[in-house]
Amino acid sequence: MKLLNSSTVSRNSRLKLGAIIVALAVLIILPLCIESDYIKHLLIMVCIGTILGMTFSMLYSAGLITLGAAAFYAVGAYTSTMLVTSLGLSFWAALPLTIIISAVLSLGFGAIFVRNAGVAFVIITLIFVQVIVIAAGQIEFLGGWGGIMNIPRPDSLGPVEFVSKRDCYYLILAILLLIVVIYNAIYSSRIGRAWRAIKLSPNLAGTLGINAYRYRLLAFVIGSTTAALAGCFYAHYFQNITPGAFAGWLSIYVQLYAVLGGLEFYILGPAIGSVIMTFVPEYLRVVKEIEPIITGLLLLIIILFFPGGILGTIKNPPDFNLTQLKSRLNRMRISKAQGDKS
Amino acid sequence: MALLEIRNITKIFGGLIALRDVSFDVNSSEIVGLIGPNGAGKSTLFNIISGFHHPDKGRILYKDVQINGLEIDRIARMGIGRIFQEPTLFMQETVFENVISGLHRHYQEAAWKALLHTPGANREENNKRDKALGILEFMELSSLKDELAANLPHGWQRVLAIAIALASEPDLLLLDEPVTGMNPSETASMIEKIRQIRERGVTVLIVEHDMRAVMSLCDRIIVLNLGVKLVEGTPDKIKNDERVIEAYLGKQVL
Ligand SMILES: Nc1ncnc2c1ncn2[C@@H]1O[C@H](COP(=O)(O)OP(=O)(O)O)[C@@H](O)[C@H]1O
Ligand SMILES: [Mg+2]
Repeated sequence: MKLLNSSTVSRNSRLKLGAIIVALAVLIILPLCIESDYIKHLLIMVCIGTILGMTFSMLYSAGLITLGAAAFYAVGAYTSTMLVTSLGLSFWAALPLTIIISAVLSLGFGAIFVRNAGVAFVIITLIFVQVIVIAAGQIEFLGGWGGIMNIPRPDSLGPVEFVSKRDCYYLILAILLLIVVIYNAIYSSRIGRAWRAIKLSPNLAGTLGINAYRYRLLAFVIGSTTAALAGCFYAHYFQNITPGAFAGWLSIYVQLYAVLGGLEFYILGPAIGSVIMTFVPEYLRVVKEIEPIITGLLLLIIILFFPGGILGTIKNPPDFNLTQLKSRLNRMRISKAQGDKS
Repeated sequence: MALLEIRNITKIFGGLIALRDVSFDVNSSEIVGLIGPNGAGKSTLFNIISGFHHPDKGRILYKDVQINGLEIDRIARMGIGRIFQEPTLFMQETVFENVISGLHRHYQEAAWKALLHTPGANREENNKRDKALGILEFMELSSLKDELAANLPHGWQRVLAIAIALASEPDLLLLDEPVTGMNPSETASMIEKIRQIRERGVTVLIVEHDMRAVMSLCDRIIVLNLGVKLVEGTPDKIKNDERVIEAYLGKQVL
């Protein structure tokens, strides 16, 4: 039995605090040390990816697996774009409106979707993201398949003009940090505990008076609204949006960020996954044509052999010996053989 | 006064009649035993009371309100707690966290206050922690509090399951085979615990195969066989009932 005495606890929390301060300093100084606008762009995409991955993890924490994390990312991007280009609102007015509209929409859709946990939910979300993409493409008013160009950058806030990549980076970093603080508060509250309860045992949670449906809906609404916020930033940063940008790989990748970093690490997991998935393919560009294959293979290997993801593997390192590997391969062969039979 | 009234419950699975026209009452502060051979329908009845199954016929009244048809969590919030026959815990959490989750329905402060860590919310959180520690103490789980539920021996998992249910402060507690798999001394101490739980004002309906435990613990016993209520009565009456002995096929356990 491990008995934590108070001095180890406070040392741990001091270590944690130190790590957070260092990380913050690095994140703030980073763009000042980097010349290349392209790298700054990648840093911005890392932040967006982290946010989207975190929304996946939030649903996962409540026992829901979504393949539609990109759906409300698109909803947010389009909503804010329309508010700014059609109604002539400023970005700073469109932002809270986008949040409210997305929250209402996700409440409506979620109320139907989260009735089915399990595989049904996975499929529904997968279809939903495709429907959103097709709808955006088919509706003339939303720019059709060609999308919408010349979306204005966020209006300047005093001296900050959001013209440079650096300023945009600071904006998305601020959004990301705000979301991290909020998510962290939620996870450590009774809401986070109720989510874990319905994930670990919906039956037991039910007998304790926890309404799985309402808590899942809450996770869906918070996650979707967060994704919409990221989408809102993306539209005004990238300055053009097309339905295709939200289809296909993006919707698969954001889920992988969370899996790769470590599913059980609801905030750090997506962050690490996003860094790796953003930068590794970039440096594989040398072998441009086969980059997606290598990235795909790396992912497969990690998911197959390190199901805890990177952080999970660091926390509980597998004692890698050959017999274990062999038995694992054996088991895979057996389950494959059984799969072939049935 | 009848706290729980089982009225003409019939439950059919496909072609199988798991329960047929079963009726009985459980009075406040009683310990009532529900016994019968495997497959008699005991767990099915528990599942119906707690809302996991809906009866094909009949009604369940709790505190004079019909509860069959209500959601599981709703029934729980009305004050019915249960443990499952199979070990059902938050396996990847510690013993302490399991009990804290049991307290869920008693949080009063608004959720946003908890997020902002207002003084009131912090005080409530501390109260809940103290309460959880008290329950662990009562169930003699204190020394295991930081252990993962999955790592506990089977007997202690049963104890934890009851601790979680107690944390939700039920008025009626349904225990499905609480001492199965325990050695005699563990069984004896669990029986004592169940008595103390009743003394705290909790009504208990218990399914158990350990006849010595049931006979010594229960005020009243209901015997089910093949989905039908055979007899109901005091332990002494049940021990000497011909039909009961027959249902157990001459098992000399009674
Ligand atoms: N969900 C279910 N679906 C089909 N049959 C069930 C289900 N639950 C229980 N049964 C059947 O109902 C009968 C009673 O089971 P159960 O209530 O578990 O008995 P007991 O707890 O008394 O041993 C058994 O024949 C069992 O196979
Ligand atoms: Mg049973």
